[in-house]
Amino acid sequence: MKKSFLRNYKSVACVAMAASLLLTACSGSTGAPASPASSAASVASSAAGGDYAVTEPIKIVWWHALESQYDELVASVVDDFNKSQDMITVEAQYIGKYKDVNEALVAANAAGSGLPGVVVANTDYVASYGESGLFENLDPYIKGTGYDANDFAEGLLRSAQYDGKQVSLPFLHSTQVIYYNKDMAKERGLTIPDKITDFGAFLESATQKAADGSTSVYGTVFPGWDQWYFETLYLNEGVNIINEDNTCDLNGDAALKVTQQLQDWCNEGVAYWASGEDASAVMRQNFYDGKCFSVLHTSSLYNNYVDNCSFEVGMAWYPAGSTGDKNSEVGGCVLGIPSKNDQATKNAAWVFLQYLCGKEVNMKWAEGTGYLPTRKSVLETQEGKDFLTQKPEFQCIFDNLNLVNPRIQSGAWSELATTWKNYMDQIMLEKSDVTKSSNDMVVEIDEILADHS
Amino acid sequence: MANTSSTAVLAERAPASSPKKKRGLSARTRSKIGDFMFVVPALVLLAVFTYYPICKLFQISLTDWNLLNDTWKFVGLKNWIWLFTGTGAKYLWNSLKITFLYSLGELTVTIVGGMLFALLFNRMSRSFSLMRAIVFMPKYVAMSSAAVVFLWILNTDSGVLNYLIKSVGLQPVDWLNQKSTALISILMLTGWRVIGYGMMIYLSAMIGISKDYYEASSLDGANGRQQFFRITLPLLSPTTLFLLVTTFLSSMKVFQSVDILTSGGPSRSTEVFVYLIYRYAMVDFRMDRAATSAVMFFLILLTITIATMKYSNNKVTYDS
Repeated sequence: MKKSFLRNYKSVACVAMAASLLLTACSGSTGAPASPASSAASVASSAAGGDYAVTEPIKIVWWHALESQYDELVASVVDDFNKSQDMITVEAQYIGKYKDVNEALVAANAAGSGLPGVVVANTDYVASYGESGLFENLDPYIKGTGYDANDFAEGLLRSAQYDGKQVSLPFLHSTQVIYYNKDMAKERGLTIPDKITDFGAFLESATQKAADGSTSVYGTVFPGWDQWYFETLYLNEGVNIINEDNTCDLNGDAALKVTQQLQDWCNEGVAYWASGEDASAVMRQNFYDGKCFSVLHTSSLYNNYVDNCSFEVGMAWYPAGSTGDKNSEVGGCVLGIPSKNDQATKNAAWVFLQYLCGKEVNMKWAEGTGYLPTRKSVLETQEGKDFLTQKPEFQCIFDNLNLVNPRIQSGAWSELATTWKNYMDQIMLEKSDVTKSSNDMVVEIDEILADHS
Repeated sequence: MANTSSTAVLAERAPASSPKKKRGLSARTRSKIGDFMFVVPALVLLAVFTYYPICKLFQISLTDWNLLNDTWKFVGLKNWIWLFTGTGAKYLWNSLKITFLYSLGELTVTIVGGMLFALLFNRMSRSFSLMRAIVFMPKYVAMSSAAVVFLWILNTDSGVLNYLIKSVGLQPVDWLNQKSTALISILMLTGWRVIGYGMMIYLSAMIGISKDYYEASSLDGANGRQQFFRITLPLLSPTTLFLLVTTFLSSMKVFQSVDILTSGGPSRSTEVFVYLIYRYAMVDFRMDRAATSAVMFFLILLTITIATMKYSNNKVTYDS
């Protein structure tokens, strides 16, 4: 009896320890909720309208997501700043993709330590960070230091706001465009249509099929790994995605029509749905190899496409919806200051943030990357003209810059987007029924929205 | 008389011995306390870094804590109700199903594959030592590095695997982006890493089996097949149990390979339980839901492991 008890005791103890270790791994990020609003926030509010000067030498860290090909540019920009004054020393740290920066930032914020002075954030996260107060409200800083924020393109400036508050500043911005093989277009007399109603016929013409009926050259590729690339197609058809009554209309008639159209194109083999971890790289490689005529992607990768293609790369605006709308949404990232930092760090961060978003530095980014100039004044200057001479394909974006809108701002957006993306994968890759899948999806999304209201 | 005298002696001794007992603990108790003091540091560490987080996890599961917010409130069983009735239930069962499928795959490769390799490489020569080392080596390659390499191997257009498939005239497979092949792709990486480990554990156990059994059975006319099923396999059962329990627990924790190769996709077809917990916590910022799922996961594992241990006590043969 005793032996049996001991054996069972040992078994349970072993299991408990093993399971505990497992759960420790699982709960690695589930520490105690952070303490309520730190004193930093109150210092910030008390300093509103006061002095934002940096009075003592200070070192701050800047978290960014600019990959190794931009190392020299980042180093040069930061060095220039560090040499330009002797009070603030900035250390730039590459954290990873936007997703990695988000994880690191949220974890540091919950822990209340290890926060960077300045951090980039994908435009997706502005609403969450603004709503939760993770980002400092920059309005008092703008007012207190007389900073001219009105020179930013209006859509870009709004994309860095939450609930009317400037919680960040526009930094590296892009928008959705269609890249196409200009040589192939000339050879076959193809042009990207202006209206979505002509897009089906265009895809038919652009697609090349082998004798066995398989597709050898796709008309276009839809990036399914990020809903940002296809949500514009819905918005231009009058779909709200989130209605005023906090419900989702992705199963409404207009939305179903778009989804069905996308599925039909994929089923017919005239378009391809790119999904998965390496989908972006695979899509680009297919384009370089001439396996697709066009791809929908971000304008920020213009340099990347041009450098890797052996043919001339064209860039076009998304076709207008059947409603006539040809809006697009802003992509890229903003710069913000975590509100839990102490006031001295925030003051130094504000100085550096102004520098990074300044006209001169912005042009450096625009020239060295595929990101857009964010300043209105740049477009009318010689620098703007030089930029267009260097990158003439950007004319289509300059012509439509006022149509680049901010992202949908909702604290539930991250959950909504993940759900939408997963259902779209199911519809496009597994060819599930559009109406049924959309209805199932909306039930889930409505639950998410209700939970956030 | 003798009794009277002995009682008197005891009575005399009693007052003297009682205060002695009160003054200090017995040598046995002192020894036990001394032994216990040696494990106190380990217990303190376990309490702080393991048991306290578990209790905290349960507490968080009763709140509405969003990782982005500093404030939270108790919401009772709201998260638990969501886990069993709302969309939470759908994802819970989906990820449980996928996790068990994955575990089954990893267990099969480790136990069946490991044993087959052990039988194959159970020769004591330099060339076999080298081959064993080659098979075992992947275990020491960091999972993140291995996953990145497999990302390239499994690439639809430029991957080595599809190159080989195409070279024999077959159609390339979109390994990581199809529901039907995504989990298999992750298991390929797992199999490559764990099969050598299973082999080494079985080899060490095989070496420990007394040769007397084989000699005696040979004298009785047993052939190789009979020796394997009647001697080797039963005597390897403690090793099999060890591999079963440890591999099962480690396979249920699979995360890194999923994160790097598929991120739980396509359409959540590789969303294993730990990845689901990660998604709730770090993508949706719903720490309350992540904690609820983690507690649920703990309870499931605890139940299964206790059941396995109880069942195996009757089925395992110990060579003693």
